[in-house]
This record gives sequence, structure tokens and C-alpha cells, in this order.
Amino acid sequence: MARTSNGIELEGTVLECLRNATFRVELQNGHKVLAHISGKIRKNYIKILPYDRVLVELSPYDLTRGRIIFRYRS
Amino acid sequence: MNPVEFSHAVLISRVAPGQWHALEDDLVVGRGEASRRPDGRMFVSIDAWHGAAFDRLAEAMLAALPRPLHTVVDEADPDLTAQWQRAGFTTRQREREYTVPTDPRATGLDSALPPPGVTIKAFGSAEEAPLRALDRTIRDQVEAGPGWQDMPAEVLPLPGLDPSKYAVAAQSGQYVGLLRVATVTRLPRIGLIAVRADRQRRGIARALLAHLLGALHHIGKETASAEVTESNVAATALFEGVGAWRTGSNLELVLR
Repeated sequence: MARTSNGIELEGTVLECLRNATFRVELQNGHKVLAHISGKIRKNYIKILPYDRVLVELSPYDLTRGRIIFRYRS
Repeated sequence: MNPVEFSHAVLISRVAPGQWHALEDDLVVGRGEASRRPDGRMFVSIDAWHGAAFDRLAEAMLAALPRPLHTVVDEADPDLTAQWQRAGFTTRQREREYTVPTDPRATGLDSALPPPGVTIKAFGSAEEAPLRALDRTIRDQVEAGPGWQDMPAEVLPLPGLDPSKYAVAAQSGQYVGLLRVATVTRLPRIGLIAVRADRQRRGIARALLAHLLGALHHIGKETASAEVTESNVAATALFEGVGAWRTGSNLELVLR
């Protein structure tokens, strides 16, 4: 059953950490989205900072919102 | 594994051990995951695009997993906190995140010297065997005392021990204190500061911190980060005493 698609995932750069546990991320296509940290990242205490390169999964309901699911090391 | 159907057209499927998906119109609208930490506690996480998917995932996961279950939320995220509370989770402890300045003019550590008889061995200069022995001693003392469950996740036992990430304090030919730092990203992270129980309250941890912050300042790093459990008065005093400021906090929630 091909139901486990990961949806739309795009690389981006964190522009800003906002106060309500969200981040403004500029995607490679130039679009800017608001993103939360995934529970898996939070569980592992991975910190996200401005200028970090991240992988964002976009919401299927609202393409201006997403979830940071991976932080690249460089 | 067979999906279980709920109302709101959300299907929950256990796709692998410890992994669940919430599906709606063939779309993955939520994911749940459960994993054990080295101290044996089980932590869960749920990422869902809407509240109904979260609730269905929580219902399926909680029915399948043994108690107690733990999770971590950013205290600045009241929506996620409320979702876990709706599932029965309550707050167990709070971990504060600190940003620590490295400039001696801000930390006041420019004249901080180790206590008499104590020397600080720089990062990469510690010998592995005595470092491993000290790590074991400190872990035994924690396990005999407060236990790991009141410690931030970062201080849990790691599979390997890399001396290049440690500075140590030595006294009378023995290692008596250690500091571990990680520099995975641009912001160095203080993972662990620990001193043998019989050598505490003598300024050894402060001397280790002074050494680290001085070294970071020397290479141009302006700040480091650290997490401290709210109930750890000594660690809070140590960091706030060098001018560290709070940048956020995480709540550990538990379902018993």
C-alpha cells in the first residue's frame, strides 16, 4: 500500500527563530514558510539556529506552513 | 499490519515497531514514534497536521505502549502541550535552555583559577583510561543517588567516549571532574559538567567552565548553549553566575 508518502519535502535555511516555538525558513525555491520542529528532533534535543540548513516537510493543507524534520550538519 | 479506522476518516496504521502513521485520503497527516532512552524510559512523539490526527495517533499509541510514557514539548508551544495534556500527560520537570557568554568581561572568569592542587587538562589532552574511570565513578554516584531520570537527556551514557570532547580537572594524579562539549553546529553545546562527589563545592566545575569559555572566546565563539534541569540549583547558580541567560525551556511530560 503506497500510503506512506513523505509529502512535500524541501531544503531551506532558517532565517529567524520566533517566540512561539516556530521558525521562519526560506526554502530553496525562494518561498518563505513558518515551521515547527518535529517531535523527533525535539526528543533528541537538536537545536535549530538561524542560518542552519534544514529539511522541511510542508503541510498538505497550507503550503506556507511546515515542519523541520532534519538539520544538516553543515 | 492492519489499519484501524476511526471517525473523521483518519486511519491509524502501525507501520513498523514503534512507528505509527495517520492517513487521511491516502495522505500521511500524522506520524507517531516511540523509542527508549539509554536509561530505559520510553519517549513518544507525535507530529500531526491537525488535532484529530494527533488525538487518533495518541489513542492508538497509548493503547499499545507500556506506561510510563514520556515526551518533551517546548514550553512556548501551548497548542502541543495542550494536546498531550488532553491525552492525560502531566508535567514532570522543566529543563531550561541557556545561552552562555564566553567573553571574560561578561563572565567575570578572566581571573578564575582552579582550586589549589587542581589542574585543568585541555580538550584532547586527557588520557582515555582515567577519563573512562572517572566517567564510570560519576555515573555510579548518580545511579546510587538521584538517578538519571532527573538529569537532562544530554548527560545520559553515550555509546562511545571521545577524549577530544572533554576537558578534565586533575588532582593528586587523579581525574576528579570533567566537562564535555559538542560542536556539531556553529553553537558549541555544553553537554555535561560533573565532579566526583567527594570533590564537589570547591570550585572545580567553575574552573572547568572558565577553561572552556576562555578557549571558545579565543577561537572567536561568542556564546555556547547548555540545558539545566530546573531543580538543579547548583548548575543553575553556576551558569547564571557567569552571566548565562535563559533562551527557552522544555517541559518533560509523563503519562503514568
